Amino acid sequence: MSKKRFLCLLACLLTALAFAQTDPGAPKAKREVVLWGLALGPETKGQDAVIREFERRNPDVKVKLLSMGAGRMDPQKLMTSIVGNVAPDVINQDRFTISDWASRGAFRPLDDLIARDKDHDPLCPTPQQYYPAPWREASYEGKVYAIPTSSDNRILYWNKKIFREEGDKLRAAGLDPERAPRTWSELLAYSKVLTKFDSQGRLVRAGFMPNFGNSWLYMYAFQNNANFLSADGRTCTMNTPEAREALDYIVKGYDIVGGYEKAKSFETGFQGKENDCFIVGQVVMKIDGDWVLNALSRYAPDLELQGSPAPVPDDRYNHRGRFANEKDTFVTWMGGFSLAIPKGAKNPEDGWKLIKFMTSFEGRLIENRAQAAWERMRGRLFLPRQIANIEANETSVKLFKPANPNYAEAIEMHTSMARFGRIRPATFAGQILWSEHVKAMEAACYKKASSEQALKDAQTTVQRDLDAFYNKSHYPVIDLRAPAFLGVLALLGFVGYFIWQFATAKIGRIERHEAKWAYLFVSPWVFGFLLLTIGPMIASLFFSFTQWDVLNEARWVGLKNYQDMFGADWKAVSRALSNVAYLTGVGVPLGLSTGLAIALLLNTASKGIRFYRTFFYMPSIVPVIASAVLWTWVLTADPGKGLINSYWVDTITKWLGVQPPGWLQSAEWSKPALIIQGVWGAGGGMVLWLAGLKGVPTSLYEAASIDGANGNRQFWSITFPQLSPIIFFNLITGFIGAMQEFDRVYVMRPSLDGPIGPDDSLLTPAFHLFNNGFAYFKMGYASALAWLIFVLVMVVTYIQWKLKDRWVHTEVDA
Amino acid sequence: MSKAILFSIGSVATWAALVFLFLFVRDAILLFGKRVSSITPASVASKGIGTVVLFFIGVVWTTPFSKEGIKLPIFWYVMPWSAWIGVALVAFAIWRLCRSMSSIQSAERMKDFQAAAIALVCAFGMGWLYKQDPDNKIDILQGGIPLSMSVIGFVAALFVLSMISIAWGYNSVRGRGVTKTVATQIALIIGSVVFGLPFVFLLITSFKEDRDMSAKSGIIWVPRVTETVPYVNPDPTKKHYVGDFNGRQVEAISVGMENGKMKMDIFRPLSVRGITFYTTRDQLREVPIDAKVYTAVVDGEQIKGFEKESLEDGRKILQIMEPEDKKGKEVTLLGEKTDPVRHIGLRTQNYTEAIQYLPIETANGLVYLKNTLILVIMGVIGTILSCSIVAYSFSRLKFPGKDKMFNILLATMMLPGAVTMLPQFLIYRSLGWVDTLYPLWVPAFFGSAFNIFLLRQFFSQIPMELEDAAKIDGCSYLKTFWNIMLPQIKPALAVIAVGTFLGAWNNFMGPLIYINSPEHMPISYALQLFKGDRDGDNEPGLLMAFTSMTVVPVVAVFFFAQKYFIEGVTLSGFGGR
Repeated sequence: MSKKRFLCLLACLLTALAFAQTDPGAPKAKREVVLWGLALGPETKGQDAVIREFERRNPDVKVKLLSMGAGRMDPQKLMTSIVGNVAPDVINQDRFTISDWASRGAFRPLDDLIARDKDHDPLCPTPQQYYPAPWREASYEGKVYAIPTSSDNRILYWNKKIFREEGDKLRAAGLDPERAPRTWSELLAYSKVLTKFDSQGRLVRAGFMPNFGNSWLYMYAFQNNANFLSADGRTCTMNTPEAREALDYIVKGYDIVGGYEKAKSFETGFQGKENDCFIVGQVVMKIDGDWVLNALSRYAPDLELQGSPAPVPDDRYNHRGRFANEKDTFVTWMGGFSLAIPKGAKNPEDGWKLIKFMTSFEGRLIENRAQAAWERMRGRLFLPRQIANIEANETSVKLFKPANPNYAEAIEMHTSMARFGRIRPATFAGQILWSEHVKAMEAACYKKASSEQALKDAQTTVQRDLDAFYNKSHYPVIDLRAPAFLGVLALLGFVGYFIWQFATAKIGRIERHEAKWAYLFVSPWVFGFLLLTIGPMIASLFFSFTQWDVLNEARWVGLKNYQDMFGADWKAVSRALSNVAYLTGVGVPLGLSTGLAIALLLNTASKGIRFYRTFFYMPSIVPVIASAVLWTWVLTADPGKGLINSYWVDTITKWLGVQPPGWLQSAEWSKPALIIQGVWGAGGGMVLWLAGLKGVPTSLYEAASIDGANGNRQFWSITFPQLSPIIFFNLITGFIGAMQEFDRVYVMRPSLDGPIGPDDSLLTPAFHLFNNGFAYFKMGYASALAWLIFVLVMVVTYIQWKLKDRWVHTEVDA
Repeated sequence: MSKAILFSIGSVATWAALVFLFLFVRDAILLFGKRVSSITPASVASKGIGTVVLFFIGVVWTTPFSKEGIKLPIFWYVMPWSAWIGVALVAFAIWRLCRSMSSIQSAERMKDFQAAAIALVCAFGMGWLYKQDPDNKIDILQGGIPLSMSVIGFVAALFVLSMISIAWGYNSVRGRGVTKTVATQIALIIGSVVFGLPFVFLLITSFKEDRDMSAKSGIIWVPRVTETVPYVNPDPTKKHYVGDFNGRQVEAISVGMENGKMKMDIFRPLSVRGITFYTTRDQLREVPIDAKVYTAVVDGEQIKGFEKESLEDGRKILQIMEPEDKKGKEVTLLGEKTDPVRHIGLRTQNYTEAIQYLPIETANGLVYLKNTLILVIMGVIGTILSCSIVAYSFSRLKFPGKDKMFNILLATMMLPGAVTMLPQFLIYRSLGWVDTLYPLWVPAFFGSAFNIFLLRQFFSQIPMELEDAAKIDGCSYLKTFWNIMLPQIKPALAVIAVGTFLGAWNNFMGPLIYINSPEHMPISYALQLFKGDRDGDNEPGLLMAFTSMTVVPVVAVFFFAQKYFIEGVTLSGFGGR
């Protein structure tokens, strides 16, 4: 393609795109309400309907929906937008994080709006309309910060058909096949009978897996009256006998199905849709929320499923011991979403209007009615989900009661449990409490730590955050304007010094003229260096001695951030560093040698070299995110779906009897998965090697073969030393790259919240920095981490530079 | 344990026997075919004997013959990484020791000996580590590859392919020998299949129907589509209409009458779905529904019919199309009793639906493309202008403090971006640049250390005379730079442009931090959001279609500017990204 034609095409494309501004159909001059965190999809008809109805009733308002990670609102995205003064107007937020946001002053309290509207606006929410637990969860320190929408609770689902089939065995064990287990010990007894292994000891059917579905440690802790936080919210009480008992129970539950490891690898074989593990009977009992019913009813309308209250500790059921005075026999864990208004929202008034409408009885019914009509049109059953608004919930459950008795009963069970809901403690540390509790549970289940040790570790981490918050006043507040001013002054002084030096330098007129131009020419870089490199570096060094979240005042904490890095947070930091060691130690050599191997092959094959070169090079130019999305799919654990595992099952499993790995879903295999994805792009390095190989003087090989050196010897004595500068350079950049590995991990990690990869196995220093910096805006701690990264990179580069002379060949002495 | 070790030795022997067999056959053919001095009957015979002996060992220790057929034995050691490294180090030491024995020069012998000693010491260290490991058990997995038709077919196909490629490159075979050429070609073919498979997988998946995304029998490589027939439902509430909504063609259903106007509910395109509008009947055009075709067995007879309606309890009402005598009749059947009629084809709707799904503000995703192009174009212009002029100054002009400045520049080359990330955010925030594209391309105008360094090398290679001539003619510095120096380094600029293009196209963390609204989103971030919405079982075909669409432009640019891509890697010394 000639240059002119190319430019012409480019110009045409740009003009076309300039017109591609916004939709011409959308009339302007409406007030916009930006709503984040609601998923858009083919199945969200009801939600669309309620929003469109709102727009119809308020013709001057337009609602702009943005999913932003759908429901599980990415905390980083929200926080960055609030700090960056571009917050949305309404946010759909998981309720247990509300207090976290509220404590940081990131959400707007709604009490004044409720007080203003409650008397004359029938849509205005009041506490009496809601189940107590969800309403409490959406408040913090006596103020209401969000209005609850959904309210899911968990019950025990069990497969009646399998209970019946195994009736004899159950009866032999003294268990009644007609009803569900009611106590913890009963549950395990049922599980023991119903769990089946094959001749090789592999799990074929799991009676009950404690954390399959949705229960986590919280469910069992609630049932055992364990609280993870003291009443005043200042002390983390994760490591109590009650919590340990609950965690031990989980571990015991997994032991029955052969241990956590086995259960996890069993789970990786689970499929979706009509082959769902509960439908095909791979799992007989599970604790889960009402969200699973929709899919189950769609793919197995005649499934003999029954819902019962989740079993509770024996003493609780019999009202003995600690539970002698307990009112509620069965309790459940309640969660769900809510709508809130972030601080700095541009249009809070219309946002509030939207919240009122969406959460009202009327709004909820409009939503359900539209969804039901949609499902009916597509020939599917509609099952109403649990709603936090009592009246709306009870009405919609009645109104949309499905004809199928199994599903109708399950929904009723959920509704009746709604009043016995327990919530996660309303604390600003909700997010970290959650992710630490997940880590503790995994550590105990993998038997990496005793339940006591695991809970103690989690407690320490959470306590650090609690202390940092409540002990804030120990540290002096500092005004950041003064140091900022000083910094700018220093930079100006630096520039001034330079100019003065130049002005007084004893140089001739012509040189002076040249130097003036030269300074003008280098000025872009100089300004960039001062403003975007050295200035920020100094600022970050300064921040690392402070505690600051941008929204509130900064405090001087001295070396505390650095102490935390090697103390309270050392577990995460060391995990990140060991991951880097793995990625550089295994990944970089593997990538380099793959590239070299291809280059050597291409170097021997004289025909088709261009063709193959293009072929091998292509993967390395695929955009990182696209490549990561593709590989998440290629590395899917389910052998019916994942490219690699489907061939693994056909070959290695058949030949050696090794089950395919869980790749990104398992702690052991997630890093190899990342490395494999990286090796796919090794073709970029191949080109480099190829150029290096072509650059080796042939005279060296000729001389060597006269001396009688064979091919192997020639490679190690000639080729390798000649290529060593390339190896050296790539080792350094590979290490720096691994320290800053982010994009691929962000896309490929299996869950958006909690640990980065299973058991934090994909956590990198840059990711840790990013999370601390942009998700929690712990500017001080994140800056300290940044400096750790900086120092480590410098030290490693320096060491490699020093070692370079020993093995890197720089001259040809033939 | 000892039995397992014997098994591993036996399997190695079996595989070695196969290699010997190959060598034996080759040499035997060469011996009778033409005269090659190195091949004598004795050497051929020794290979034959070797083959027999090795096979014998293999058969005795691995018992490959059984009722199920012949198995080629394989084994694998499952052990901790410390043990693996230890074994590798021991192997390395043995190799170096052998080499030191055969070495002639005493200095080299010493060197090899030292290396072997160091490796052995390290191996002992690894052994110690292994002992410390709490779960240091070694498992030996034993198994075998059954010689089934598919395995034999696979090997044969490889053989044929390599023969074709040898015939194609016949000249190259002569100089090197057949074995090496065949091996190289086979390795290259396997390599390109492995590297190319994910691409093929991406493309095919993007054309698959949802039901083909996962299958018990493994990956489905041939996409199929369900057959449909156009069908107009006589029930007015189920009719599909095409109408005009604010200048946009939409598909909608009627949900009632109000004031003599029809109330329409849009269901396609997805970006305006749920909006209701009022219109009159004459503004609307009735469109048929694509009714899926199923086969089923009714009263022992095979029928074929299309789906008129599906009921809430999972049953379907089919209108029979075949056989002729029942045509037009209706049957109601359970969902699982019906089989969709499908034929080989591509589901191109994945692409159109993926685009329709994008938010209304993005004009079918064109806004994403526009934003990415802004980033790319501004990034390339900024980088080229700033880096070249700074590099020119550093290489050609003299000024006080030049060396110091250049050393600082070199020092920042290895600076991890993470260090400056947070304060830079605060700077852009104070400028009010959050949720704009500025933070993503403005920094390009301040130059980057690496590119400046690279360009300086290029400028240094240009002979001084050109510039001197310009100076004598009274050319200003700016003019000299623009008219004389810049054209000289065009190839280097192209390389930098390509690198910047890839960097800007790939930039993900920047948009993740700075961009919130779809109007300002570049493609890379839009793709991640798209993934968040359609993961798992939720229409993955759409995700794959969108992914393909983001890959295609880059691949297209690559084909146009392949030279610069490959040169770029060589010049900058970066192995890809």
